[in-house]
Amino acid sequence: MQSEMFEDTIVAVATPPGRGGIAIVRLSGRNALDIALACVPAGSRLGETPNRAVITDLVNPDLAGEILDRAVVTWFRAPKSYTGEDIVEFSVHGAPVVVDAALGVLLSLGARPATPGEFTLRAFLNGRIDLTQAEAVRDLVNAQTGHQARLAQRQLRGELSHRLQPLKERLLSLIVQLESTVEFVEDDLETESRAALVKELVSAAADLDALTASYRLGRLVADGFGVALVGRPNAGKSSLFNRLVRTERAIVTAMPGTTRDLVSEPVELEGIPVRLVDTAGLREAENEVEQIGVGRTRTAIVDADVVLVVIDGSLDSSDTVRALLDETRHATRVVALNKSDLGDPDPSLVEAIEDSGVSPVSVSALSGEGVDEVRQAVVRAIGGSADLAPSGVLVTNARHHELLTRASKGMTAASVALSAGYSEEIALVGLHESLQSLGELTGETVIEDILGRIFATFCVGK
Amino acid sequence: MIGAGHAGCEAAHASARLGAKTALVTINLDLVGQMSCNPAIGGVAKGHMVREIDALGGVMGIVADRTGIQFRLLNRSRGPAVQSPRCQSDRAQYRVEMRSILEKTPGLSLQQAEVVELLIENGRVSGVELVDSRRLSARALVLTTGTFLNGLVHIGDHTFAAGRSGEMPAIRLAESVRRIGFRMGRLKTGTPPRLDARTIDFSQMERQYGDDPPVPFSFLTKRIEQPQIWCHIAYTNQQVHDSIRGNLDRSPLYSGKIEGTGPRYCPSIEDKVVKFPQKERHQLFLEPEGYDTYETYINGLSTSLPVDAQQAMLERIPGLEQVKMLRPGYAIEYDFVDPTELRANLETKRVAGLFHAGQINGTSGYEEAAGQGLVAGVNAAMHALGRESWVFTRDQGYVGVMIDDLVSRGAEEPYRMFTSRSEARLTLRMDTADRRLTETGRRLGLVQEDRFQAFRSRSAKVAAIVQAIEGVRVSVGSAVADRLADAGIGITGTTQVSALLKRPEFHVEHLRFVLPANAVEGVTDEELGVVLNDEKYAGYVSSQVEASKRAHAARKRVIPGDFDFASVSGLSAEQIEKLTLRRPETLSQAEAVSGMTPAAVNLLAVYLELGARRAARG
Ligand SMILES: Cc1cc2nc3c(=O)[nH]c(=O)nc-3n(C[C@H](O)[C@H](O)[C@H](O)COP(=O)(O)OP(=O)(O)OC[C@H]3O[C@@H](n4cnc5c(N)ncnc54)[C@H](O)[C@@H]3O)c2cc1C
Ligand SMILES: Nc1nc2c(ncn2[C@@H]2O[C@H](COP(=O)(O)OP(=O)(O)OP(=O)(O)O)[C@@H](O)[C@H]2O)c(=O)[nH]1
Ligand SMILES: [Mg+2]
Repeated sequence: MQSEMFEDTIVAVATPPGRGGIAIVRLSGRNALDIALACVPAGSRLGETPNRAVITDLVNPDLAGEILDRAVVTWFRAPKSYTGEDIVEFSVHGAPVVVDAALGVLLSLGARPATPGEFTLRAFLNGRIDLTQAEAVRDLVNAQTGHQARLAQRQLRGELSHRLQPLKERLLSLIVQLESTVEFVEDDLETESRAALVKELVSAAADLDALTASYRLGRLVADGFGVALVGRPNAGKSSLFNRLVRTERAIVTAMPGTTRDLVSEPVELEGIPVRLVDTAGLREAENEVEQIGVGRTRTAIVDADVVLVVIDGSLDSSDTVRALLDETRHATRVVALNKSDLGDPDPSLVEAIEDSGVSPVSVSALSGEGVDEVRQAVVRAIGGSADLAPSGVLVTNARHHELLTRASKGMTAASVALSAGYSEEIALVGLHESLQSLGELTGETVIEDILGRIFATFCVGK
Repeated sequence: MIGAGHAGCEAAHASARLGAKTALVTINLDLVGQMSCNPAIGGVAKGHMVREIDALGGVMGIVADRTGIQFRLLNRSRGPAVQSPRCQSDRAQYRVEMRSILEKTPGLSLQQAEVVELLIENGRVSGVELVDSRRLSARALVLTTGTFLNGLVHIGDHTFAAGRSGEMPAIRLAESVRRIGFRMGRLKTGTPPRLDARTIDFSQMERQYGDDPPVPFSFLTKRIEQPQIWCHIAYTNQQVHDSIRGNLDRSPLYSGKIEGTGPRYCPSIEDKVVKFPQKERHQLFLEPEGYDTYETYINGLSTSLPVDAQQAMLERIPGLEQVKMLRPGYAIEYDFVDPTELRANLETKRVAGLFHAGQINGTSGYEEAAGQGLVAGVNAAMHALGRESWVFTRDQGYVGVMIDDLVSRGAEEPYRMFTSRSEARLTLRMDTADRRLTETGRRLGLVQEDRFQAFRSRSAKVAAIVQAIEGVRVSVGSAVADRLADAGIGITGTTQVSALLKRPEFHVEHLRFVLPANAVEGVTDEELGVVLNDEKYAGYVSSQVEASKRAHAARKRVIPGDFDFASVSGLSAEQIEKLTLRRPETLSQAEAVSGMTPAAVNLLAVYLELGARRAARG
């Protein structure tokens, strides 16, 4: 039997944020299974047997079934689940892009982002866990509060809300205009023309969309971009790494094969948070340890947002360079031609690099010359410092993204309704929905506030 | 029932209809159903409520239909959800008609007396004491004293105690109510002067006509038979404003004499001139007070200036140069009881069997009062008869929205209904009030056979039209398509009629020729309208309905009346204090209490669940 307590289905990432190997996305509520079935291919065995893990593709039904990931999906049938409701758990690859995409699909299918602690709350209210002692209950709630606080601090930092305030003001004044004409028919109001309202709506929606569009970027920014230094042994990767992080973090020796494992360090490049990763040099591995190291380098290439290919300009042959560039062809790349202090590189080398469509940056990790240029090239590759955060605010959170999308949809619906000649109360449905969504980010606007604005704007009433 | 205003009349009628032996005690039996201010019923959202009262078997709609002298359907050019009837009434006839209906109601007795004391034993009502020391015993009481509790009238710096101009206030009763320990406050409202029509030059004003034919309030009214009058529109000008500004220091509003909070949506002319100095003129409506009188109401000119200043400002209005004032305008301050003292059935939390309805709850307006009166009357009767109480919910109509707002949020200024107060405005149309409420009214015992049969027949006709539309198509080139094209409704190929209904240009008259003649025969425009309106809103409504369903489910999480908020460890001292003061009845109400965080609400939910389980275990 499904619990009657809750109408909606909630979703959240159950594993801690960050780039773990596997992330678990948990869906709970009466529509959990239906939603899950909508994003796996027909014919998967999901939903046949509860508690059994099924390996299946995860697809985006909106984008003609684009495959997001290969996932392990488990259905727990109500009431024998953690929350007492139907639960579906997706184990997906932990890369933020994948997790985000999975969340996005589940939200678009009607799930709602869970509030902190909501799974536990449902579990308790549905009688799945028994907390008879007040102390335990308080701990639960305090934990929620702490979590909430951290979440709020990290993801919102007040900036988004701040940025949304003017948009909300514009939306409110549109609502005030329309509500007044509906509520105070008998007063002679000087309200804006429909055309003017539509124009303002379209422009407000566009502003909102620009903000919403920063989501992917924002998400990356929040977690830090991954930049991996990749090259042949002894190319000077660790030396350049140390230059970029401004400490002697990685060991540098004249012996090829010094770096054996991934070395990672957070750093800000022109204000953008980056996780810089030094890797083991790529070559035919001579022993098991090295083999493992090279394997990790390959993973790092896949995981990275930008690969910084380091080439020894004094030594590497154009064939090695071609091989390297081929190995990293799927990545966004910056190519550094290192050891410029040892003289100009062979023109055939430069040619090999330019053949692959990138122009190399000349640098000497030893003298420090050209390091700034490398830094700038990396930043450009990340997204171009110009279009990073056009407004100074990025949307970094799936729930926020969903709310902004809903807000924008509401405005668009309203402008369509108004321009098609529909009556005000229909346009207002979209506008109020929009306001409600923005309200979840900026604080609720109750009807009294709207009425108050009407009375302050227009001389109404007899 | 104490007080025969709009709340009291509706309450008394409902209570008696439910079979409770009911007495309606009021200060002056000649003033039953007296309109204190504008002789008009309805308006946007207010007209909706009159329809709801009517659908439940109440009396306001019928009385308004019988005594209206000018009817207008407001928002005619907008969508069906915001259209609402309004009428000017013959003030005297309204009283007579209301009293006559009440007198004919079985089980209801009218009595003239001033109530001075509420009698309470062991936390429950036992009766009232009258000014002449007589006592009436009662199992339930409904208090509907309007502006009478400690009423204080202001005209310039002249003040006097009164319930309304010319009526005595209720001072001892106010004291009795205060002694119970209710949180009380002071509100203020005002009214414009009344003029002698023979001294008005109407030729300088625009005429405003009513609708022809008039749209009635009651589902039972077939046609409005009485002749319709017209009103006039006049405007203030800079000279009028100057005159007002010159006398502001003599207005009790600006001299600081008035402490009560007035309604912002009903500003006095002083307020309008001060707050909107850039506005060059303000619109005024001159409305006859009835067929048999020259008395004229000047809508839009509420004031508490001294009488000479009122006269001076009037004379500067074009058309009123020679005007004679019959009664001056005035402001009145009065006591009200914080409506969060009430449960959703309008019973006070402090005294079992005591119900409050109308202006005493911080509302303003006849329709608001009547809606509460009906709910309080039903529940008082239920209480007296030992039946279960009834809650008018938000999704059922504006009356439910109002009561929920009042009991969960309180009233900071006089509360008036607006359609935007409902989160599901599209579902609360005036033409669906019967569909939402008449069966409930029947179950309660309010709706009588004739109304119920009328409802059934209307529902059947609406259902038949829905069926008739199904599958009907229109093809380009057909005669029907040509007629539609003439009306600006172009089609391509072959189209389902059901798809056409959504077009903004598609109206009831088009439905008449699109459907086969036998399908629409005997079906009124309004009945066709129900189908059309349902269809027009269908897409938008479903999302609103979802949302309101969710809200409703959440509201079902009820907080027991004896719940001890202090027992919830984890709530802050401030939260405990506020919750204890407000005594929310549901989790959602608790959520609305200021200072409540989501975590605190979750915590409350946990404790409520713990309590429920403990109770279940016995
Ligand atoms: C000057 C003025 C201006 C107003 N202006 C507006 C306005 O602009 N807009 C608007 O919407 N509304 C206005 N109103 C409010 C509107 O008139 C009321 O909201 C509505 O009438 C309230 O109805 P009610 O039934 O609660 O009380 P009322 O209609 O006031 O009826 C109260 C009844 O209780 C009786 N009563 C009182 N005390 C006792 C007692 N001790 N014993 C026995 N009987 C008692 C009285 O005799 C009366 O019959 C105004 C009211 C006044 C007085
Ligand atoms: N002349 C010169 N020498 C450099 C430069 N950068 C690095 N070197 C030297 O090259 C050698 C290898 O440098 P590392 O930074 O350890 O190279 P690596 O790519 O990390 O090598 P592995 O970890 O073995 O893959 C060291 O002796 C460095 O001093 C440079 O710009 N110019
Ligand atoms: Mg190294």
